[in-house]
Amino acid sequence: MSSLIPQFVVDLWDAIPMLFQHLIIITAQILGVTIVVILTVAFTTYFERKVIGYMQGRLGPNRVGPLGLGQPFADVIKLVIKEVVIPQRSNRFLFLIAPMLSLIPALAAWAVIPLSGSFVIADINAGLLYVLALTSVGVYGVILGGWATNSKYAFLGAMRSGAQIVAYEIAMGFALVGVLMAGGSLNLGVIMQAQAGGFSSWFIIPLLPLFFVYFISGVAETNRAPFDVTEGESEIVAGFHVEYSGVAFALFFLAEYANMILVSALTAIFFLGGVASPMEGWTFLGDGSFLREPNFFWLAAKISFFLFVFFWLRATFPRFRYDQIMRLGWKIFIPVTIVWIAVEAVMAWMKVGPWSV
Amino acid sequence: MAILFQTILFYCFAVFLIGAALGVILSRNPVHAVMFLVLAFFQSAVLWLLIEVEFLALVLVLVYVGAVMVLFLFVVMMLDIDVEQVKGGLTRYAPLGFAIAALMVFELVQVIWVRGRFASAAEGFVPLPEGYSNTEALGAVLYTEHVYAFEIAAVILLLAIVAAITLTMRKRPGLKLQNIAQQVAVKREDRVRLVKMESEKPE
Amino acid sequence: MIGLNHYLTLSAILFSLSVAGIFINRRNLILLLMCIELMLLAVNFNFVAFSRALGDETGQVFVFFILTVAAAEAAIGLAILVVLFRNRGSINVQELDSMKG
Repeated sequence: MSSLIPQFVVDLWDAIPMLFQHLIIITAQILGVTIVVILTVAFTTYFERKVIGYMQGRLGPNRVGPLGLGQPFADVIKLVIKEVVIPQRSNRFLFLIAPMLSLIPALAAWAVIPLSGSFVIADINAGLLYVLALTSVGVYGVILGGWATNSKYAFLGAMRSGAQIVAYEIAMGFALVGVLMAGGSLNLGVIMQAQAGGFSSWFIIPLLPLFFVYFISGVAETNRAPFDVTEGESEIVAGFHVEYSGVAFALFFLAEYANMILVSALTAIFFLGGVASPMEGWTFLGDGSFLREPNFFWLAAKISFFLFVFFWLRATFPRFRYDQIMRLGWKIFIPVTIVWIAVEAVMAWMKVGPWSV
Repeated sequence: MAILFQTILFYCFAVFLIGAALGVILSRNPVHAVMFLVLAFFQSAVLWLLIEVEFLALVLVLVYVGAVMVLFLFVVMMLDIDVEQVKGGLTRYAPLGFAIAALMVFELVQVIWVRGRFASAAEGFVPLPEGYSNTEALGAVLYTEHVYAFEIAAVILLLAIVAAITLTMRKRPGLKLQNIAQQVAVKREDRVRLVKMESEKPE
Repeated sequence: MIGLNHYLTLSAILFSLSVAGIFINRRNLILLLMCIELMLLAVNFNFVAFSRALGDETGQVFVFFILTVAAAEAAIGLAILVVLFRNRGSINVQELDSMKG
C-alpha cells in the first residue's frame, strides 16, 4: 500500500508542520463522513419510496436508470435548478439562514459517532452530551424558517414543531440517562464496548422500555409520521417550509433525512451494540469468522433496519392529533423513563443485571 | 505552534462573542436579539472548551441554546410587540449606557491586569493530568460535598415548573376537553343499545 | 499564551456590555431579561476561569447551580411577562405603573 504512493508526495507530506498535517487529516475525515451521509440520504429517499410503494401495492420509482436507482439524482438536479423564491414581506436573512441552521447540527453530530471499532472523528469524553446538545439546536431551523416566512400556516407549523421537539427531548434525555448509567460513560465508544459479547449483553434487553421511548421520541423529534403535525398537509398545507423552494427546500429535506439516519445510528449504538455482531458468542463459527467480528457492516445493517421501521410507521399509522402527541410525551414517556431509571438504580445497587459495575 | 493556534482561536471567538453581545443590545428586532444571544452562548461554549471545561460547555449549549432561548424565541414571536414603539427611546440613554460600560471596563481591566494576583500574562491554566475526565471530576464533587445544594437545585427547578404552569394556565370558556380516563372506562352498555325488531315482510 | 487574565478581561467586557444593554433597552422587558442572561454568562465565565486557574472543581459546581437557577428564573420571568402582556397588552416598562401611589 505505502509503495504505491510516489516518493515526492511523501516528502511533501513530511514537509508540512505537524499541526497542519493534523488539520488536513481531520478535514479529510469530516469531508468523507459528510459525503457518505449525504449520499446515504439520497438513497434513503429512494429506499423510502420503494418501501412505501410495495407496502401500498405499488412499484415505487422505476423509470430513471436501472430499477429506478437514478431517481435520487434526478430529484436533486430538479431541486438545484429551481428558483429559490423569497416571499416579499419575509425576513430575508433569517429566511435564508434557517435551512442551514437545521442541516448543520444534523451533520455535525456525526463527529462523535463511532463508525467502526476504532474509527471516530472526535473521540471526546462527553460524546453523548454533545449529541444531545446538537440535536437540541436543530429546532432553531424549523422555528426561524416558519417565522421568517411571514405566513400563518408556516408559523403554526413552526410553533407546533418547536413545542413538540422540546417536549420529546426531555423524554429522550431521560432515556439516555438510563443508557449512560448502564454504560458507565458519556463516550459513545465506551458505551458500545460495554455491550460487547453478543446479543445477550446488548442494552436492549435490560433497557427495553427506554429503547421504545428513545426510538419513538426520535421519530417525534425528526417530525416524521405519525408525528408530522408540523407538516400536516391536510391542515396547514406543508407547515414551516410551505414557502421554500429549490435549494432551500432541498436543505430542509436533507436535514430531515440526515436526522433520521442519525437517530437510527444512535439507537443502534445505544441499544443494539453499534458495530458489535449479534453472533459474537457463537463459537462454532470458528475463531476468525467475519460474522463474529465487530465491523461497520453490522452498524449499517442496524441503521437500515431502523430506517425501515421509520418508513413502516409512516405507511401504517394515521397522523396523531396534536394534544395526543403532547400527552404521550409529557404524561407517558417521561414517567416511564423516570420509573425505569429508578428500577435500574435499585438493580445496580443490589448488584443484579449487566450494569452491576 | 499549538499554543499559538490556541491563542488565535481565543481571539477569534472572543471577537465573535463581543460582536454577538453588541448585537444583543443594539439590534432593533427582538428575534435578531435572541439569535445574537444564541450566538453568544455558542461562542462562550467554544471558549470554555478551549480551557477543557467540556461538561459545562456542552451543558451550556444544551440548557441555554436548546431550552431557555427557545422559550425566549417563543415568547418574542407569540407576543405581537410593536417593535418601533418599544425601541423608540434608544438614542436618549445610549451615550450614558456606553459611558458607564466604558468606565466599568476600564476599572475591571485595571484591577485584573495591574492589581491582580496573576499579574503575569505568561501564567497559563493548571495543566490537567493524563486521562482526566471533566465530567467525572465534577460528579465526584457534586454528589459528595454539594449534594444538599444539588437537591435544593432540583426543588427549585420543580418550583419553577409549577410556578410557570400556574401562572400561564387559564381555563377558557367553551373549551372542549377529552377525558381519557372516562373514555377508557366506558362500557358497552353506555354506548351501544341493541334493539330487537321484526324485519319487514314483503307484501 | 492565554491565561486567566484574558478570560477575566473578556468577562468584564461582556458584563459591561450587558449593563449598557440594560440602559439602552430599558423599556423592553424581554430585552432586559436577555441582558440579565448575558450578565449571568459573564459571571459564569469568571467562575470557570478561576476554577481552571486554581485547579479546583468547586467553581464549576457553582456554574452548574447558576445555570439551574437561571433556567428557573427565565421560565418564571417569561411566564410573568406573558401574563402581563395578556392583561395589559404591553410590555413597555414605563406603562407598568398601576402600583404608583
